[in-house]
Amino acid sequence: MTTLFALYVLIWPALTLGVLVLICRAVLRDRREAQKEQRELV
Amino acid sequence: MNNESLYQFSTLTVILLMLAFYGGTYLLTLGIRKKKEDADAFMVSNHRVGFGIGSASMTATWIWAASFYAAASSGYTYGVSGPIHYGLWGALMILFIYPFGRRFRKLAPNAHTLGELIHARHGASSQLILALSNVLGSVISLMVNFTAAGALVSVLSPLSFQAGVIIAGVGVLLYTLWSGFRASVMTDFAQLIALMAIAVVIIPAVFFAMGGPTELVAGLDNLSAEQANFFSVDAILNQGAPFFVAVLAYAIGNQTISQRLFAVNEDHIKPTFITATVGYGAIVIGLGMIGLMALTLGIEPLNGDMNNLIPQMVSGYLPPLFIALFFILVIGSLSSTADSDLSALSAIMMADVYGKNIAKGKADPQRMLLVGRLTMIIATVVGIVFASFSLDILVMLVFVGALWGAIVFPVIASCFWNRITNAAFTTSVIVAMVMFCLARFEWLPLDGATGLLFELLASIGGGVIIGLMTFGFLGRVAGFIAGILALVAMLVFATDFLRDYTVLLASLTAYGTSTLVCVVMSLASRQERFDFDSIRERVGNYDDQPTDADPSATEHQPASASLAAQH
Repeated sequence: MTTLFALYVLIWPALTLGVLVLICRAVLRDRREAQKEQRELV
Repeated sequence: MNNESLYQFSTLTVILLMLAFYGGTYLLTLGIRKKKEDADAFMVSNHRVGFGIGSASMTATWIWAASFYAAASSGYTYGVSGPIHYGLWGALMILFIYPFGRRFRKLAPNAHTLGELIHARHGASSQLILALSNVLGSVISLMVNFTAAGALVSVLSPLSFQAGVIIAGVGVLLYTLWSGFRASVMTDFAQLIALMAIAVVIIPAVFFAMGGPTELVAGLDNLSAEQANFFSVDAILNQGAPFFVAVLAYAIGNQTISQRLFAVNEDHIKPTFITATVGYGAIVIGLGMIGLMALTLGIEPLNGDMNNLIPQMVSGYLPPLFIALFFILVIGSLSSTADSDLSALSAIMMADVYGKNIAKGKADPQRMLLVGRLTMIIATVVGIVFASFSLDILVMLVFVGALWGAIVFPVIASCFWNRITNAAFTTSVIVAMVMFCLARFEWLPLDGATGLLFELLASIGGGVIIGLMTFGFLGRVAGFIAGILALVAMLVFATDFLRDYTVLLASLTAYGTSTLVCVVMSLASRQERFDFDSIRERVGNYDDQPTDADPSATEHQPASASLAAQH
C-alpha cells in the first residue's frame, strides 16, 4: 500500500521530467533545422 | 488581504522576483523582435512552428494559475481520485481537439483563426458568433489570471492585491505587444521549462517533507469512505462529469488552441497535441496531489479558502527558496496563459473583425498590426480593471460555457458535412442558448412533460458528445454507433433523474438542441452542397495580398486573395 501510494504521487513529477526532456531535445532539433534552412525558429 | 500565517516576502523581494521574471521574459523577446513585424507572423508565426516549441506553447497556454489551485482543491475535496478528475479531463480537452484540428488545418492551411474558416464556410453571422464566444472566453481568462497574480502577491507579501494585478498586466503586455504570437510562443517555451522544472522539484519535496508515503498512508484514516475510494461516484458526478461534458466545448471555444493549431508545422500536429496532453496532465495532477497530502494530514485551508492550500503546504514544509520557486511557478503559468489570450484576442480582432468584416478581404497588413496592438492594450486595461474590482463573473462564465457547448456540433459538422447551412448554424446556436437559459435558470418548471422534454434534449446532447469524440478518432460509423448507444443509455438512466442536476441538464440541453436544430434545418434546406475545396482558396495570408495602397500588385493577384476579396 505504501509503495503504491508513493508511486501514485511520484509518477506525475517523473512524467513531467520525461516531457521536459522530450521538449528540450525537440526544441534543440527545431533550432538546428531552422538554422540549416536559414529561417527563424518562430 | 495579507495573511500572517503564510511565509511573508518583503515588498522588495516580491518586486525583485517579478522584475526578474518579466524583465527576463522581455529580454527573451528582444532576440526575435523585428523592426517591421508582418501581420501573419503576428497572428500565427510562419505556420511552421516546430514540435518542441509547439508542444511547449500548447502546454504552457493550457496551464493557468487556476489549474493548480483547482486541482489541489479537487484532491482535498474528493480525496484519492480528485486530482485525476481535474487534470485528466483538462488534458483530454487538448487531445480530443486534435483529430478535428487536423481537418481544420487541411481545409484552411493558411488560416489564423477558426472564425476565418467558418467565415469561408458560412459567412459573417456564424463567424461572428464563434468570434464572440472566443472573445468572451479570452477576456474572462485574462481577468482570472490577473486576479490570481493579485491574490498571490497579497497573500505572500505586504503588497496590495491591486499592485499584483497591475504588475502582472503591464508585465505581460510589455513582452507581447510588439511581436504578438511569436513572442507568446517563444516565451511560453521558457516559462514552461521553468514551470516543469519547479513542479518536478516541489511535488516530491513537499511529499517527503510531510513524512513521505508512510505518513500519507497513515493519514488515509482522515478520509471519508468516498474520499478513500479511487472510483468515487461523488467525485465522478461532481467533478469528472461536468468536466467531461466540457471537453469539446472548451477546445472548440478557445482561440488560443486554434491559433497554435494553425501555427504548428502540419506534419507535427499529432505529436504536438499528444505531448501537450501528457505534459498538462502530469503537471496538474501532480500539483493536485498536494491537496490530497493536505487532506491526509488533516490540514484546514486558511480562512476556509481552498486557494490557500498549496501556498500553505509549501510555506509550512519547505524553506523560503522553495516558496520563491512556487511564486515563479504561479506567475509563469498565469503569464503564459495571459499572453496567449492577448495574442488570441488580437488575432480575432485583426482577422475576424477587421480583415473579414471591415476591410472585407482588402486588409492592409500594417493597419491590421495596429488593430492587433490596440486590442492588446485595451484587453489588458479591461482585464486589470475587472480583476481589480473583483467583479462577479459567474453569470458571464455560465453564458460563455453554454455558448461554447452550443457551437460544438455546428462548428464540427460544418467542416465535415456539406449540407450544413449558415441559417442552420446561426439559428441552432440561438435556439440552444434560449433552451439553455430556460433550463439553467429554471424559467420553466422542470417537471412533468417539460422536464421530460429537457431530459430528452439532454440525452441527445450526451449522445452527441460521445458520438463526436468517437467520430474524431474512429470514424463516422463508430461515431454513429457510440452516439446512439450513449443516447439510449441516457434515455434509460437520465429520464426523471437529470432534472435534479440543472447545471448538467442545461449544458447537455445546449449540445442537444443545437444539434437537433442544425441537422433538421440543414436536411430541409435545398441550398447547393458546399464545396470544401473552396475554403482553402478563400482563406489566405494577409501579407501576400495586394492592398489599395499597392495597385501595381493587382495584376499579380493570387487566386486566394482574389476570392477572399469577393467573399
